[in-house]
Amino acid sequence: MKNYPSLKIVDVFKGVFQRFGVDYPAMRRILQIKLTMDRRRMPTVFNEAGRQNKDNESNQFLKSLWIYAFLGLVLIPFILIRDSYMLPMTLVYGVLMFLLMTSMISDFSQVLLDIRDKNILNTKPVNRRTVNVAKMVHVSIYMFILTGTITGIPLLVSLLVRGWPFFIVFLGQIILIDLLIVVVTALLYILVLRFFDGEKLKDIINYVQIALSLSIVIGYQLVIRSFEIFNLDFTFAPQWWQAFLPPIWYGALFETLLGGSRDVYLIVFSILAVTVPFLSIYIYIKAIPSFERNLEKLSHQEQGKKKKKGRLGRLLCKTREEEIFYYFARKMMKNERQFKLKVYPVLGLSFVIPFILIFNEVRMSSFEEVAASRYYLSVYFSAMMIPTVILMLRYSENFKGSWVYKALPVTNRSPIFKGTLKAFIVALYVPVFAALSGIFMFIFSVNIFPDLIVVWLVSSLYVLFCFKVLNGEIMPFSESFEMAQQETGKVLFLFVPILVLYGIHFWVGGLTFGTPVYGAVLFVANMVLWRRL
Amino acid sequence: MRVGIKKWQVRPIEPILELKQLSKTFGKEHVLKEIDLTVYEGEIIGYIGPNGAGKSTTVKIMLGLIEEFDGKVSIFGEDISSGDHTYKKRIGYVPETADLYENLTAYEYLTFTGELYGMAHEEADAKAAELAKLFGLEEVYHSRISSFSKGMKQKVLLISSLLHNPDLLFLDEPLSGLDANSVMIVKEILAKLAAGGKTIFYSSHIMEVVEKISHRIVLLSDGRLIADGSFEELKGQNMDGTLEEIFNELTGFDEHENIAEKVVAIVQEG
Repeated sequence: MKNYPSLKIVDVFKGVFQRFGVDYPAMRRILQIKLTMDRRRMPTVFNEAGRQNKDNESNQFLKSLWIYAFLGLVLIPFILIRDSYMLPMTLVYGVLMFLLMTSMISDFSQVLLDIRDKNILNTKPVNRRTVNVAKMVHVSIYMFILTGTITGIPLLVSLLVRGWPFFIVFLGQIILIDLLIVVVTALLYILVLRFFDGEKLKDIINYVQIALSLSIVIGYQLVIRSFEIFNLDFTFAPQWWQAFLPPIWYGALFETLLGGSRDVYLIVFSILAVTVPFLSIYIYIKAIPSFERNLEKLSHQEQGKKKKKGRLGRLLCKTREEEIFYYFARKMMKNERQFKLKVYPVLGLSFVIPFILIFNEVRMSSFEEVAASRYYLSVYFSAMMIPTVILMLRYSENFKGSWVYKALPVTNRSPIFKGTLKAFIVALYVPVFAALSGIFMFIFSVNIFPDLIVVWLVSSLYVLFCFKVLNGEIMPFSESFEMAQQETGKVLFLFVPILVLYGIHFWVGGLTFGTPVYGAVLFVANMVLWRRL
Repeated sequence: MRVGIKKWQVRPIEPILELKQLSKTFGKEHVLKEIDLTVYEGEIIGYIGPNGAGKSTTVKIMLGLIEEFDGKVSIFGEDISSGDHTYKKRIGYVPETADLYENLTAYEYLTFTGELYGMAHEEADAKAAELAKLFGLEEVYHSRISSFSKGMKQKVLLISSLLHNPDLLFLDEPLSGLDANSVMIVKEILAKLAAGGKTIFYSSHIMEVVEKISHRIVLLSDGRLIADGSFEELKGQNMDGTLEEIFNELTGFDEHENIAEKVVAIVQEG
């Protein structure tokens, strides 16, 4: 087993941990084991019995990091703005917090809510605090690697272009933000666990995640509005409600330290920036025992009721087999927590983003102008959910159950795929799409109906496309979620076709009879391609 | 013979484990109702009961996995609610759900748990390797547990529970997945450990095994302790019954033939 570099860094703080009553050697050992396991998130298929494959051990998480490095480049232009600290730095921290928070929620919930740890670690003579601190350090190591990747190049640029003072404030605040995010996420779970129990609780965690990702997006709108960026006016008018927007705190600290501002609001915000992370750590430590107690509830379930089966399956599916897999997939999507965890936030985003695009436009021109425009095509962005969800359809917490595919007397795989995809469309895409369509017809008039049909036909083809590219012949619900991280990169690239399709639709709409002809072509394509699946 | 000699020695016999008025509720549900139980050194306790009777809950409380309960639990003479976790050093545990870090190799997992129990790495490794060899895991000692069969995983759990030479063992279905030969080995090990003064808390649904290996049988039903005694004592009036029959009788279950008949009828329908 390796002595990981990250562990050597943790060793530096040995004394601090011991002062807090942590059994350091035990904590280090737990971390070492956890890091080793992270490196091995590989399917058992590649790991035949008896074979030692220590050489190809590599952390899939680390492999997927380059995408984050790429995303981090977005920050650079803001760093170069010299007119103001407040605006650009608030945006920088806003983007950073968004990236960190979403990745924390989707990828590290497992670490925080792992009940397997309880059976293995808590039965050993190791005190609770040590186990908890080990968990926090484990999460923190990844947070720091992630932050390091995102901010590495921007930090270097800031040092070269803006000099040492800027660099140091920038770096210091990044560390504060990391602390804040790790602890706030943990606290959020504590809060939820306090009030609910059993299966319901796990659902509620899902809802919190949706709420969170939506509030982050809406928060953005507020941040941007604070600056009236479109007037190219960098003056900032502090308001009391901005105290609820953490990125603004950090922008304010910059302004106070380097910009020399003495505005009372900004000073208050700056104080918040420094104190809240430490305050939340303090609250967290106080809350841990109750968290532990409540974690017990995770494995407890009340008696279930029989659920009725809908009739939609028979209408939508041609064969009996297809129908069976349609219902199977719907139940899996409904009950698999990991699936919901990864998918629901995206669902929320895909509902909100079309509106945000429209609102931004309303701010620039008037409502009447927008209502007369073709901005309703932003409904295309609801298709953003498609690649993510389709990828997730591959995975299951109970992926080992996939032996049934082989044991069942099913020779043709096509009904399995068709049934699953139809289940996804009905259960997740239709609700979002229908709601958006309804609201848009209200805003833009009913005349947009033909266009909406075209969008629907396009997204139905896009579903097939994503499925082929991402999953190919892989059976639904047949792989472990641990594998998911390495595939997420592909999803980002699959957003590109949405833009292309949007462009085509926009262009076709300008031609005479463009939309009906395009619609007819799409319809035929759908018929042919779905049949060939 | 050592057992006999021990009984002659004049010394205060301290219970290894003592439950006093132990109760536990989950919400409105009473899982355990005022359990009293005292266990002494060298005993093999067969802890049995129908599904959902509260067996695992009792074991989890004794291991400190569940901290909130009513009543008092003492292990090695110490109240476990005192917050001192060191008593766990002398306990070995085989959980019913085979929770293991399967991405690790047997070597890594066993040395890890051994070290958490306070052993040095080299000592844990040497001992684990030898035990693995005896259990027929020599070849796969450096392979990942995820590639193991059910029986092999069970052997890893057993080794992990024994590695640090515990004085008290909690075994929940320890034979599950083991082949007949390994079952014989494990049964023999348990008998020898008990003869050497170790205490074993054995839960299982396989009555034949419980009947054979236990010195004392404790039957839990619906959160209550409804029988406690040696197999002979339990037999009492039901002279030539098996433990299975006693179990059915005490838990008030006499429907098996009836149910079986109905099942077969439904299977063959249509």
